[in-house]
Amino acid sequence: MKTESSAAYIARLTITLLLITAVVAAGLACVNAVTAPEIEALNAQKTQNAVEAVLPGGGEEIAFTDDSGIVSTIYKGQSGYAVEVTPAGFNGTVTMMVGVDTSGKVLGISVVSHTETAGLGAEAAADNTAGNAFRSQFAGMSGSVSVSKDGGQVDALTGATITSRAVCTGVNAALNAVAKLG
Amino acid sequence: MDFKKQFKEGLLTKNPVLVQLLGMCSTLAITTSLFNGIGMGLAVTAILICSNVLISALRNFIPSQIRIAAYITIIAGFVTIVDLLLQAFIPALSESLGVFIPLIVVNCIVLGRAEAFASKNSVAASAVDGLCQGIGYTVALIVVCVIRELLGKGTFGGGILNGGEGIRLIPSQFPAMQMVMPVGGFLVLGFVIAGSQKLMKHLEMKNKKKEAAK
Amino acid sequence: MAQMKYFYELTISSSPHAHSPVTTRTIMRDVLIALVPALLGSIYFFGFRALMVTLVSAAACVFFEWLYCQLLKKPCKTYDLSACVTGVLLAFVCPVTIPYWTIILGDAFAILLVKMLFGGLGKNIVNPALAGRAFMFSWPVLMSNWVKVGFENAAGIVSTADAVTAATPLASLHQGVMCSESIGALFLGNVGGCVGETSALLLLIGFAYLLIRKVISARIPVTYILTVAILTFLFPRGNDRIAWMAAQVFGGGLMLGAIFMATDYVTSPVTKLGQIVYGIGCGVLTVMIRYFGGYNEGVSYAILCMNVCTVLLDKIGRPVKFGAPKKEAAKQ
Repeated sequence: MKTESSAAYIARLTITLLLITAVVAAGLACVNAVTAPEIEALNAQKTQNAVEAVLPGGGEEIAFTDDSGIVSTIYKGQSGYAVEVTPAGFNGTVTMMVGVDTSGKVLGISVVSHTETAGLGAEAAADNTAGNAFRSQFAGMSGSVSVSKDGGQVDALTGATITSRAVCTGVNAALNAVAKLG
Repeated sequence: MDFKKQFKEGLLTKNPVLVQLLGMCSTLAITTSLFNGIGMGLAVTAILICSNVLISALRNFIPSQIRIAAYITIIAGFVTIVDLLLQAFIPALSESLGVFIPLIVVNCIVLGRAEAFASKNSVAASAVDGLCQGIGYTVALIVVCVIRELLGKGTFGGGILNGGEGIRLIPSQFPAMQMVMPVGGFLVLGFVIAGSQKLMKHLEMKNKKKEAAK
Repeated sequence: MAQMKYFYELTISSSPHAHSPVTTRTIMRDVLIALVPALLGSIYFFGFRALMVTLVSAAACVFFEWLYCQLLKKPCKTYDLSACVTGVLLAFVCPVTIPYWTIILGDAFAILLVKMLFGGLGKNIVNPALAGRAFMFSWPVLMSNWVKVGFENAAGIVSTADAVTAATPLASLHQGVMCSESIGALFLGNVGGCVGETSALLLLIGFAYLLIRKVISARIPVTYILTVAILTFLFPRGNDRIAWMAAQVFGGGLMLGAIFMATDYVTSPVTKLGQIVYGIGCGVLTVMIRYFGGYNEGVSYAILCMNVCTVLLDKIGRPVKFGAPKKEAAKQ
């Protein structure tokens, strides 16, 4: 065996590792070429579904200004806007879509992704009686919304005031952003 | 090559989860529904077989000083491929397992088998080892999943059966939510390990009795 | 084997072989007696369901300990009353509306998993009653269903449907707002909360009894409560420092936790210095959780966290062995 410090040996180590990484990288590039369009299409479909859930007919992305710092995208459709907002929940960011009509009324909300506590805050996104009842009460609201504990008209989820507040914050930010659009 | 022995080792006596205690991170984190358990198990099995085969084939080519770096590169390559494929073709599983698919790179089962087995054995034996260890991992995961899902959500087969809702076995107000939280993972895994040890002891005693009878 | 049977009944220990009438049973009996004022108070505040919940919980704990010993063919020690104390304490840290099946599952968790599987009394690493409570947060809605005080609002023994629900003082304190209840009401216990935690006065009577009987030393409870008092005095929310501090000390489960749970022999340090650090740690964690955490109440998690540290805290403040060389002394 060659001495481990010889230049030739070090070169061999380098080249071996280089070869392996090059082959792996080439393999990944091939797979990526196949999957990238699929993944992109899926993501676009997902966003479209989320938009359509709160804004009948869907919409196109438009430019906007945001002071709240939690509005990420606004889609403009026939009957109004779908606003993607990311308020801070109990455990992390709650990404949700808020539909707002042209007169500044909430059309509906849906939670796209979240990391809230299962059984409590997660109910805000769940497709069950409690979750549906919680989300549907936002429809038709306008101006500024807040949970009943803070003097508003939204009934908070049982044991999940913080998540409920986060959803209200998101809805308010969406309403403000749409009001600014005029 | 002794397929029967390797299979028995992978499934029970050297089970990666229950005996070697490898890959605890994913075992504790994702075992909350049957769908997750099967999906994660199959993903790891596929990666394990591929990485075992390739590493075994290259075992004389890779100098020992850089073997860990080389193994990790190969493993990371396969994991990324699986991750991309899942995202493109089985998005539901990819979403449900989330970050734990990329984390298979650092799952010690894969590197552990590469170092302990594939780097010293033939390609065929390494492939069998990958399969057997993968099956052992999957079975252990499924057992933990079924128990946690039943106690924590009151259902069986969540994510697959009954349109993804699972079959409800316990009325929805009773299940103990903590069992699908991290604490439940530790508790159930502990009991499953204890149970498997008991089973192994029982089998050993049986074997001894048989031999004594001879 | 016949001789072995008698052998097990002997307690073998090193000298001194001093005789003392104090046994686990007498200690636990004193703890139960000290809890009686708070129990009577809870019946007065929340109705007879409070008594029923406590009795069911205590009975379930004793049953599960007996069951475990029967199943594993171990000598049964339920006569030492420690399971009974666990049951009563667990009931005391639950809302009075808690369904019986929930508290029985909590008892099973506390006794079977937290106490017996670790080797029984003296070997458990965390307080069984508090661990049972933490497990019962599997049903978070049931664990935060508070009722208004007073017989007319009380939950029925069988059905809790008639109970009038209300928020607890801690809920508003958690939001950084002074609670609407007066400090006097908080001290007497005429406020919403868990079964046995509301009345500081009645718990202090129990504390006095335990001190007189020399069952516990005042070190842990006093450092614990003082730490909470100082921290809340230094960092008040609102204008009235004193009122804020008093509300934090008398509202919620601090008194119950500090007097009856943090002092659990098995899960608290034995050295003086260790006990003081333990008390301070509990206090700091309690305030941190109440101020910054997700839950309204931090006492139970604070004590559980410090329980786990006990094995380390026992290493500090250990007396130097008589006649030990200096080097060895330094090592300790």
